[in-house]
Amino acid sequence: MAKSEKSCQEELSALKKEYEDFVYIVSHDIKTPMRAISNIATWIEDDLGPNADVDILNNFALLKSRVGRLENMLNALLELSRVNRTEMEMYEVNIPKLVEECMATLDNKLNVKFHINYNLSNENCITLGKKLNKVIFNLLDNAVRFHDKQIKNVFIDVSENEMEYEIKISDDGPGIAAELEDKIFSIFYTVNSKDVLDSTGAGLTISRKIIEMVGGAIQYTPAVNNGSIFQINWPKIISLKN
Amino acid sequence: MEGLNILLVDNCKNFIENAVNAFSQIGIQSTLCFAENNTEAWSMLQGDYKLSPLPKIMLIDTNAEGINGIDLITKIRDNFELKSILIFVISDVDNDENKQAALNLNIAAYMSKPFEKGEIISFFSTLNDYWNSIEFSSENK
Amino acid sequence: MIQKLVNILLVEDDEVDVMNVKRAFTKNNIKNELFVAGNGVEALGMLRTSIVPLPRIIILDINMPKMNGIEFLKVLREDENLKNISVFVMTTSNEDSDKINAYNLNVAGYILKPLSFEKFITSVATLKNFWSLCEM
Repeated sequence: MAKSEKSCQEELSALKKEYEDFVYIVSHDIKTPMRAISNIATWIEDDLGPNADVDILNNFALLKSRVGRLENMLNALLELSRVNRTEMEMYEVNIPKLVEECMATLDNKLNVKFHINYNLSNENCITLGKKLNKVIFNLLDNAVRFHDKQIKNVFIDVSENEMEYEIKISDDGPGIAAELEDKIFSIFYTVNSKDVLDSTGAGLTISRKIIEMVGGAIQYTPAVNNGSIFQINWPKIISLKN
Repeated sequence: MEGLNILLVDNCKNFIENAVNAFSQIGIQSTLCFAENNTEAWSMLQGDYKLSPLPKIMLIDTNAEGINGIDLITKIRDNFELKSILIFVISDVDNDENKQAALNLNIAAYMSKPFEKGEIISFFSTLNDYWNSIEFSSENK
Repeated sequence: MIQKLVNILLVEDDEVDVMNVKRAFTKNNIKNELFVAGNGVEALGMLRTSIVPLPRIIILDINMPKMNGIEFLKVLREDENLKNISVFVMTTSNEDSDKINAYNLNVAGYILKPLSFEKFITSVATLKNFWSLCEM
């Protein structure tokens, strides 16, 4: 019995690796002809000059934007396939400082009000710093990007229990309809049409994969008066699942 | 380019002061380190004052007094840990007999040394743009 | 000034990438003569028979058929007559192993080809400014 369980585990690990390698190779190799399409579109635009037919120029702009989406999707696939292979350094991070760095890197902070609350006795911990950074950044980025109001309030609450850090990122934005809650973690799923709000839709998928890799958890709950609450449990001691 | 060390091997006070000034004005994130001669440079590369991380970029005035640039570059190229360092040679000498020797050691560039403060800023600005446009390996020795 | 004198050998197998370089050179007003080899073997031939006259520099892709960039670089550095040529790698490979190998073979720079042509024009502009400081 034990032997067959072990060989099942091995087979599972091998399959997983094969899958990730496949996703990586495919995404990587598709990039070359995709880049060519993007470049050639630019050359033609260039050669046509600014006085070309408006419809033609618009169509080229559309073409390039769709190629841009392809690029984003491929990059997301590449990132997803490499989650447990790259940036796996363990080093000491200071949680408040890390949060601040994430906030600093955000685009479009106009009209965003951050409300930060730390309830920590251990501000420092040795962990996969780049991965934690990525997860927090993705959630903050989502909170800002999908916000629908003039003034965007984003709340960051960090506390800890004996085993984990509890990081809660919430906002007073539109929230997510109950029937869609399960879908938001699927890759490339976006609540709005990508024509309305351009987003690849991979941030949550990648974040969840990272969190599961470290043995943590992420959960969505709707806020009381519209808005979203994402709660991350990040273990203080990381045991990497293979 | 944060956290990178750049080693300048030169003993010309004017150039060094202006280099520091240029780095600060341009806002270059890397740390500029100095050595006045071969011995000091070597101690920072393999000796008691070994830089950590090792610099990936070096600037050497091969004709400054007390600096035998060709010797130093040859030693660097012969050393397993150091041989991949990008070396930029700056020289103020016309008709430099060391020039061909330096080029034969696969330096990244042989450049004429600027003197005036404004020229030095412009010099490092161009170099900084170039350094920011190239990739470095992620190994930190 | 160096831009007027030096000859550039582009070692690149992808015709779209060759066109990118030619167009980016034109956009940046780079007047140096550009020679093109489709792989390492062809490049060595062009260098050894002086089809590319001195002084010369090389822009090198890594992923090519027959002889890839790193293999080419090794042969180049072992050839007495060719070993001191300045090489600038221009590739889509973000692999650390390629970067390490390239710098160990003393390239003067390792440039990642950006996805957009506009960004590539800027990369080439930076390269041109750098070259204006270099003396051969």
